[in-house]
Amino acid sequence: MIMGMSTGLFIREAIAVILLIGSLFFFLASAIGMIRLPDFYTRLHASGNSETLGLMLACLGLVIHEGPTLTAVKIVIVFLLVFLANPIGTHILGKAALKSGHPVWTNKDKEE
Amino acid sequence: MKTKDMLKDETIVGSPVKHLVVLTCVLFFFWILLSGKFDLKFLTYGVLTAVISAWICVPLLLLPNAKGTKKYFIFDVPLVKYAVYWLWLLNEVVKANIDVVKATVKSEMVINPRVIRFRIKMDNPMAHATLANSITLTPGTVTLNVTEDGLYEIHALTDGAAEGLLEGGMQKRIADLFGEPFDYAVVEEGEEQ
Repeated sequence: MIMGMSTGLFIREAIAVILLIGSLFFFLASAIGMIRLPDFYTRLHASGNSETLGLMLACLGLVIHEGPTLTAVKIVIVFLLVFLANPIGTHILGKAALKSGHPVWTNKDKEE
Repeated sequence: MKTKDMLKDETIVGSPVKHLVVLTCVLFFFWILLSGKFDLKFLTYGVLTAVISAWICVPLLLLPNAKGTKKYFIFDVPLVKYAVYWLWLLNEVVKANIDVVKATVKSEMVINPRVIRFRIKMDNPMAHATLANSITLTPGTVTLNVTEDGLYEIHALTDGAAEGLLEGGMQKRIADLFGEPFDYAVVEEGEEQ
C-alpha cells in the first residue's frame, strides 16, 4: 500500500485505475478496428467502440477517483453530452458518404 | 416565431405554458449544477437567466411532424420511462460493444457489412430522433439515412448486429415510450418504396 493512504482511499483509487485500464482496452480495440476494417462505412463502426464503452469506463473511473463532488456531476454531464452528440456526427458522416454515392464494401469484394 | 404567438398556437401538442415552465426548471437546475453556489444572490441571477432564456428559446425547441400538422415540444417525454429506456440501451450498448470488439480483433475478421432497410411509422419527430440516435450509438449499426415517411437505411457490420436490429425490439420500445402505434416492416433487398 502506498504511504499515507487510508485503506478506503486505496480501494477507491484501485477501482478507478482498473476502470481506466478497461477503457484503454476499448480505445485500443477501436484503433485496431480503424486500421483493419476495409472501407469508410465499416470504419464508422470502429469509432463506436471508443466513443461509447471506452468513454463510459473512463468517465466512471474519473467519477470514482473524484468522489461525490460537483466535479463528478460535471464529468457525468460531459459524458451525457458525448453520448447524445457523437452519434449525430457519425450519422452525418455516413449520410454524406451515402448521398455522394460511396460504394458499400461487402464480403464479395474480399477476393479482389 | 415569437413566444407571444406561440402561446396562442393551436397545433402545439400539450400546453405551451407548461412547456415554458418545464424549460425554465430544466435551465435553472442546470444553472445550479454548474455554479454550485446557493447564495440568494446567485439563485436570483439563475432564476432570471433561466426565465429569459426559456422565453427566447422555447419556440426553437418545437419540432413539427413530417406532415406539418402538429408541433411537439422536445422535453415533452415521459421522464421515468425515458430514463428506464436509456438504462436498457446502456446495457445493449455494452453487449454490442463486446461483440464488435470480438469481430474486429480476431485474426480472421468475422464481418458481413451490408445496408439493411426497415420502415416504421411514427408521428413524433423526437421518437425518430431517439431511434436513429440509439441505432447509431449501438456499435455494429449506423443510421445512414432516415426519410420523412420513416424509411431507415442502416449500415450493419456483422450478421448478429443486423438480425438483432431487424427483430424490432428497440423499435417496439420506442413506439411504446412515445405512445405511438407500432407500425413496423422490414424492407427486403431490391424492393424499393
